[in-house]
Amino acid sequence: MAPKVSLRGILQVAIAAIVLFVFVSPASAIPAFARKYSLRCTACHESWPVLNDFGRNFRDNGYQIRLGKDDTVTADPGYWPVAIHVTPAYEYTKVTNVPTDQGPKSIGSGGIQDASIDLLTAGVLTKNISFLVVPTGFASDGNVHLESYWAYFSRVIKNSDWFNIRVGQFEIDLPASAHRNLELTDSYLLYSYHPSVPGGSNISAYDMGQNQRGVEIVGHDKDSQTRYTLTVFSAYDSLGSSNGLSSPSFYGHVQKYFRFNDGPVSQAEVGVWGALANYPTQFLTTGGTAIPGSGTNLQSSTRYGVEANVWLGPLVAPLHLDLVYGHGSDKKDLFQGTADRGGTFNGGFLEAIWVPPVDLLHWSLFGRYDVIRNQNQPLIVAPSNYDNQDQWTLGVRYTIAYSIRDEVALHAEISSDNAKGIGAGGLDQRTDAIMFGVDFVY
Amino acid sequence: MSYRVGQLIPVFAGLLFAAGSATAADTGDVKTGKLVYERYCLSCHGAEGNGQGEAAEYMSVKPRDYRQGTFKWRTTPSGSLPLDSDLEHTLLNGLYGTYMPTWLALDERSRRDVIAYIKTFSPRFATEKPQDPIVIPPDPGYSDASVARGAAVYKKYNCSQCHGAGGQGDGPSAHELKDDWGNPIVPYDLTKGHVKCGDQSTDIYRVFMTGLAGTPMPTFADSMSSADAWDLVHFIQSLSPGYAKNMVATVAGRTIGGAQ
Repeated sequence: MAPKVSLRGILQVAIAAIVLFVFVSPASAIPAFARKYSLRCTACHESWPVLNDFGRNFRDNGYQIRLGKDDTVTADPGYWPVAIHVTPAYEYTKVTNVPTDQGPKSIGSGGIQDASIDLLTAGVLTKNISFLVVPTGFASDGNVHLESYWAYFSRVIKNSDWFNIRVGQFEIDLPASAHRNLELTDSYLLYSYHPSVPGGSNISAYDMGQNQRGVEIVGHDKDSQTRYTLTVFSAYDSLGSSNGLSSPSFYGHVQKYFRFNDGPVSQAEVGVWGALANYPTQFLTTGGTAIPGSGTNLQSSTRYGVEANVWLGPLVAPLHLDLVYGHGSDKKDLFQGTADRGGTFNGGFLEAIWVPPVDLLHWSLFGRYDVIRNQNQPLIVAPSNYDNQDQWTLGVRYTIAYSIRDEVALHAEISSDNAKGIGAGGLDQRTDAIMFGVDFVY
Repeated sequence: MSYRVGQLIPVFAGLLFAAGSATAADTGDVKTGKLVYERYCLSCHGAEGNGQGEAAEYMSVKPRDYRQGTFKWRTTPSGSLPLDSDLEHTLLNGLYGTYMPTWLALDERSRRDVIAYIKTFSPRFATEKPQDPIVIPPDPGYSDASVARGAAVYKKYNCSQCHGAGGQGDGPSAHELKDDWGNPIVPYDLTKGHVKCGDQSTDIYRVFMTGLAGTPMPTFADSMSSADAWDLVHFIQSLSPGYAKNMVATVAGRTIGGAQ
């Protein structure tokens, strides 16, 4: 008789699968622009949905080409700035050392995922005012939420590209976008990681990869080779503090690109970034339940780091390497009395995307290695390597067809994440995933 | 661990070689240029360079057919092939009012490579050399007097036949014009404050002297003096406040100098 699998274990696997596939799903390639400007996806995307230089400049310019074809009045009357994106896929996920009544077990589960869709609407409202609204969901649970909604005001001061403003809910300007990455079975560990206490909790839910609500100031030179962003936002998933700006948080990012006219390196980039996300830790309560918006005693999750990108070979079909390092710290009070001290860690990732130089650029191969190393465990007696993580991903994508209307691609990848000591009985826990899917956007 | 890293070195070196092997030399690399073309240009200009890409059907201003070697924006005289720098100018600046965007974000290598590839569509580039660029004398400066003289030049050369008396592109012949490929083409509305091949005064002057190859816009190099051409430039600039004007004279009682 086969041992029974606990409900908890199944839930773990199910939640992991849902998180991996629903929330990691990229959502930012927009055929509405391809239709409007008669450009293929390849014009803006190094490998869809990763932006290339042209795409980044187009985005920084508020989705404007600025040659008299931006205003919706000049577009074809049949133009409607809406696109739909969905990824039907099979995925198998296996988690080791899941605690069950029968002892630590490995639980594997696979199937066609209950995928959600993204409705991408974006465009130019009038000269130098653009927008993006992305309802996401429509899966079997029936839930729909707005993943993004923002307005972008370009050239606010003296017609300069150095001062543009975005207002709403949006992805902050990360070293590597968590919404435009190629990997579908995992996310960037550095963005979402928090030091933890075994069996304890951390009130900070700050995830750099999640969209945040706030105001972003963007500045760039004419071809976006030098750029900066400053963001003020209310930290994601906070119960809310009693401040004028609830859970007031800040993010900044500066990038500089360098181009080389000869040699194997065609372009390089360096950047620095930093975030300070504040979460309230004390609340007024009613019936013992915290009252949203009443929070005080703000405590911070701090993240900062550096990045470097290198493009080898021609920029049109590069081997693109992206190295990001970050240091993170969470204040002691965020652990709600379970920690001896604040927790700190170092982490980062090395990502590679290769677009082979073959006709029509149908292929892309990609891989990423993520690492998290704890520095100060919040609980002094915890093993120094508790929840240290190593994660790798390898994948291949073949674009069957792309046009000025749509794109459809086959996507396959495999990934593995190993976390020290978080499994049953303090064992390591490994999560392996493999997926095959059809990714299409119209 | 060092053993594993050692194993990865040949893999990485192989990828590096594969990527680096496609690197452009000092002149454009046709093979890489084809990839640049496929990434950015193919949807409009077509795989054969004939201007019949998938998007062409839906465009009022048709993409250029490269096979004839004729290009609108040139510094070279009418009938001549363009210089590479002329083609690069169009890449960097785009063509206002059309679907040809500015490819400012392309790196210099990519521009060189795609220009080399575009030139393969026309056999003329293999057998002919571009002529020397035309000489553009300095702008004498925008003034009311020059605008007035320019209005007379506009009338003398019958520009209104296509562009209309008010420069709005609504002349008597406006609806009868076709380009060299038989596509209907409309004269530019000069009152918009932008012209297709650049808004600087030298850009406008150049069009009079080189013509717009493949369109009904002729060259006036043999019939129009440079003084008349500059007056005509200033007259066109007077049609919209959108044009940058290099004023050197008194206008409406105010002394204005330098660029506006």
